[in-house]
Amino acid sequence: MQVVVELFGIARARAGVGQTTAVGDCLGDVLADLAARFPPLAESCIAGRTLRSGFLANLGGKRFVTAPDTPLADGDTVLLLPLDAGG
Amino acid sequence: MASPLPGYHGCLLRIYLSTGVSEQVALDETLLRSTIGGSGLGVELLLREGAAETDPLSPDASIAFVFSPLVGSPLTTSAKFAVVSKSPLTGRINDSLASSGFALAGKKTGHDAIVLTGRAPRLSILVIDEGVVRLESAERYRGLSTRETERRLRENLGSEFQTATVGPAGERQVLFATISHDGRHAGRGGSGAVLGSKNIKAIAVRGTVRPHWAEPAALVELARKFSEKSFGPATAKYRELGTASNLLTFNRLHVLPTRNFQQGSFAGAEAISPEQISVARERTRSSCMACTIGCEHLYGLQNGTGSVRLEYENLFALGPLCGIDDPEVILAASRLCDDLGLDTISAGGTIAFAMECVERGLLDEPWLKFGDGASLLQSLDSIATGDGLGQLLAQGSRRMAHAIGHDSIDFAPQVKGLEIPGYDPRGLQTMALGFAVGSRGADHNRSGAYEVDFSTAVDRCNVGPESAHLAVETEDKAALMDSLILCKFLRGVFTDFFAESAEILRLVTGWDVTGNELRETAGRIVTNKKRFNIRAGWTPDEDTLPPRMLRQALPDDPRAALSKESLGGLIRAYNLARGWSADGWI
Repeated sequence: MQVVVELFGIARARAGVGQTTAVGDCLGDVLADLAARFPPLAESCIAGRTLRSGFLANLGGKRFVTAPDTPLADGDTVLLLPLDAGG
Repeated sequence: MASPLPGYHGCLLRIYLSTGVSEQVALDETLLRSTIGGSGLGVELLLREGAAETDPLSPDASIAFVFSPLVGSPLTTSAKFAVVSKSPLTGRINDSLASSGFALAGKKTGHDAIVLTGRAPRLSILVIDEGVVRLESAERYRGLSTRETERRLRENLGSEFQTATVGPAGERQVLFATISHDGRHAGRGGSGAVLGSKNIKAIAVRGTVRPHWAEPAALVELARKFSEKSFGPATAKYRELGTASNLLTFNRLHVLPTRNFQQGSFAGAEAISPEQISVARERTRSSCMACTIGCEHLYGLQNGTGSVRLEYENLFALGPLCGIDDPEVILAASRLCDDLGLDTISAGGTIAFAMECVERGLLDEPWLKFGDGASLLQSLDSIATGDGLGQLLAQGSRRMAHAIGHDSIDFAPQVKGLEIPGYDPRGLQTMALGFAVGSRGADHNRSGAYEVDFSTAVDRCNVGPESAHLAVETEDKAALMDSLILCKFLRGVFTDFFAESAEILRLVTGWDVTGNELRETAGRIVTNKKRFNIRAGWTPDEDTLPPRMLRQALPDDPRAALSKESLGGLIRAYNLARGWSADGWI
């Protein structure tokens, strides 16, 4: 499966891009793919196949998810964003 | 003589401004332990003053500047104070917090709080030089900006004095005027108007009295660990990007209030994002006094007239909410609010409301249009001068709606009279509950319920009553942080918030306090605020949102819909979770 990944805040700053694509059947696969391609992103936001503390994923702007086995479909959009919204 | 109670001086300073007379009043340990300091102590003091039943702009009204046991300690972010009064904007409790050297110097005057009543005979500077109080004429500072007033006061009194000032807006008693110090503001609810009504242009404080700590060595070690953690990933967002980085996230989730909450996303969001603004402008970082996080990001104005702090709230309120997509206008408007001493959220919210009234033909001010930067800047100026429409704008959106009529209250962006911050409640429904029941009105600093919406715990567009206890938890944490006082940006570094807070307080005061005791204390502080509001005339029907938000979904996200019934269910669950009656009586 190929999914679109949109990055926000620190995730965007670390990856150096606001949007990319990634492959995987579930969230954990996609995170692992991103970690391999964007080491600075992995260092701050991704630990193996999971998100580090302080970060969340969101499917299509609708549902927040963190479980690595969350299934994804071809063409899905995954947002990576900081957990903390205050300010 | 040193106070026998570690962390405290054990007294407050009461000043009768009408006569200039002052007195020390003892604060007993039972009171301090049950309220801690900051907001908790301030609300209790105000209740005892009878402030709930008093016109907040009358000479009889009281306003309290309240420190905390942690002020002056080595703990990061602890140089904070609370300003507590009845709000002239809402008629309900108002506790505004800010950080600066004013907190440190104010506590070193030898008092845990400074309570002002009465009205000075003429515009004055209140000087508190350790235990000596005097009023000086402020005639030469009349009409000056907050920034210039502070600069001249330091020049004239000496740099060891720390000051809290009102700008032209406070002098004119604009109902959302701030109290400013070191460029930071006790911002919401109009505490600047209360100070202005007392004919006080500024308070200058200086002192040398330091309380002792119960376990100083252990406190220093704990403070060192907290400082280390504060450099970690939990605060990276604040340190590296600042709060303004919320903008693109909120825009993507369609919860960025746009054009007076008529939309949840803004076409010009990328252009005004901090990521984009920083490309063409110099950016520097700063921090509050005694803070290791350093969340402040200042952007240079392109006309070379200085730099401006840009936070998410002023960015949203003076940008998308008014349809403005020119970063230079937003920065200029933010700077103007700082100088005039205006709360940016209420200023932007009230102007955006007026823009929609013009659009609907309810207000004959054709120059005032969404997206028109010049009209935004002109409106801000007029609020401070009182010229033209400024007289009406200075009253906030609720009073303005009552004056305009034609059911415009339907879309006035306020709860209890306080303009709504930058979170569209239809797409963040736990936050909707937090706004509706908030003791000072729509407020993201007294309820952090958005944290629940930004989690896997709820569906943010379809929140049920089972989430009420999560909203209670965030409100209790905020009440405790506002009483200790610590910055909320530190909350991510706690593992067990109440237990670790208890350890901090134990090392400062020597009390055998536990996490459970602090949970109870936090709940009691929230209930005390409700008690204040009930005495001030609160009724259950004011715990709500603007009617339009309960009738219309967000056009850009139809799932983001609330109804009077769904919000009512959340509110009833919240009230019961608090141990109050279902309709909110205590």
